[in-house]
Amino acid sequence: MKTLLINTLLTITLLASAPLLAQEGPLRVGMSGQYFPFTFVEQDELKGFDVDVMNALAKEMGREVKYETANFSGLFGMLESGRIDTVANQITITEERQKAYIFSDPYVYDGAQVVIKKGNTEVESVEDLKGKTVAVNLGSNFEALLRELPYADEINIKTYESNLERDTALGRVDAFVMDRVSASQIIKEKPLPLELAGPTFSQITNAYPFRDTEAGRALRDEVNRALATLRDNGTLASISEKWFGTDITQP
Amino acid sequence: MDVLNVEYMLGLVPVLLRYLPLTLQLAGIGMVLALILACLFAVVRVLRIPVLNQLTIVFISFFRGTPLLVQLFLFYYGLPQLVSALTVIDGITATIMGLTMHFSAYMAESIRAAIVGVDRSQTEAALSIGMTNGQMMRRIVLPQATRVALPTLMNYFIDMIKATSLAFTLGVTELMGATQKEAAGSFLYFEAFIVAAIIYWIVVELLSKLQHYLEIRLNKAYSR
Repeated sequence: MKTLLINTLLTITLLASAPLLAQEGPLRVGMSGQYFPFTFVEQDELKGFDVDVMNALAKEMGREVKYETANFSGLFGMLESGRIDTVANQITITEERQKAYIFSDPYVYDGAQVVIKKGNTEVESVEDLKGKTVAVNLGSNFEALLRELPYADEINIKTYESNLERDTALGRVDAFVMDRVSASQIIKEKPLPLELAGPTFSQITNAYPFRDTEAGRALRDEVNRALATLRDNGTLASISEKWFGTDITQP
Repeated sequence: MDVLNVEYMLGLVPVLLRYLPLTLQLAGIGMVLALILACLFAVVRVLRIPVLNQLTIVFISFFRGTPLLVQLFLFYYGLPQLVSALTVIDGITATIMGLTMHFSAYMAESIRAAIVGVDRSQTEAALSIGMTNGQMMRRIVLPQATRVALPTLMNYFIDMIKATSLAFTLGVTELMGATQKEAAGSFLYFEAFIVAAIIYWIVVELLSKLQHYLEIRLNKAYSR
C-alpha cells in the first residue's frame, strides 16, 4: 500500500513535470539573491551586477534567461543535478571546482578582503587574524583561502549561510572575509558600522561554472563568445561602472 | 540605523504576502497527503497487519529519526544522483514529499495513540453486534479517535507551516526565502524578519481559531 502510494506520487510528479525534460528553453541561471550588490532583491525585484551581466549575455546569445534563486549552499547541487545550467554568483575559479566543473573566461577580477567592525583596532590586516574568530560564507572559497594561510590552525573559522555582515557589526565575530568589491559596496551603501582592514590578500577571478558534458561545453563556448563581444563593445565595463564606479571586469 | 524603519516594514508587507499562498500551498498539500498516509500507517500498526506492520515501523523510525532538512536534501539532490530522470522532482515537489513523509511519521503515532485510547468496551460492543474490523474502525473507532487526535494533528499542521521555511534551500522562494532575499538587499534584517514573523504568527493564530471551532463541533455529542 505504502509503496504503491509513493509510486503513484512519483508518477504524478513525473507526468506533471515532463515538459521540463525538454532541452530547448530558457537558460536556467542559479543565484543566491543574497549577495549585495551582485545579486539581491528589492521590493520583489531581482537586481544586481550579476543579473545585469547575465541579461546582457543572454541578449547577445539570443536566449531567454530564467533565474532560480536558492541558498548559496544549494546552488552547486542544483547545477550538479541538472536543474540549472550555470551559476551567476561571483563563483571563484578554484582547483577543487575545476575538478568537477568547467569554467567560462573570467568576468570579474577581485581580491579577498578582511572586514571588521568599525573601531576594532585589534585587526588591521590578514596577519592579525591569528587567534581570532572569522566569518565566511558557507561553501564560498574564502574559507579555503583562510585555510591556506600558514597560521590557519590559529584562526577560528565560522561559516555562515547568510547575514555574516550583521554578526560582524554586532561583534559576535572579530572579522569576516569577502571579496573587496562587495565588501566596499556594503560599507558604502548599507547602515552597518564596518570597515576594511588592510589590503586584499589574494587575487581571485570569478567566472561561470558549467557541467563537464557535451551540452555544458557547448554552452560554455557560446557564453565565452558572448562575453568577448560584450568586453569588446564596452558593455561589461559600463555595467561595472554602474554598480561599482570602477571597472572590475579587467585584470 | 538604530531606529526601526517602519516605512520599509510597511512596504515589505504586500511584497512578502505574495509568497504566503505558496507557503500555505506547500503546507496544505503536505498536510492532506500526510494525513492520508498517517491514517493508513496507524491502522496498519493497530491491526498489526503482517509485513506492512514491519515496513511501517521502519518507515516511521527513519522519518522520525532524521532531520527534515536531511530528508529534503535526499529527495532533491540525492535521488537525481542515483536516477538521473528524477531531476524532474522540482523543489516544490521535493518539499511536499519531504513534509508529507516526515510529518506522516509523527502523525501516525499520534493517530495510533488516539485509536488505542478509544475504550475497549466500544470495540467489544462493535464486534459483538457482528461488525467487521473495517466497519468497526470506520464507524466506531475512528470518529471517536478523531476527536482525541485533533489537537495534536493541528499542532503538527502548525509545525508544518513553519517547516516550509526550509524550502528555500531547495530553490523554492516561499515566505522565508523572499524575506531572506529582501533582507540581503536592504540589510534591514530586524525589520524584514519581524514582518515575516508577524505574518507566520497571524496565520497560525487563525488556525488556532479554526481548531477551537472544530473542537466545539466534535465535542457536541459529549456536551449536554
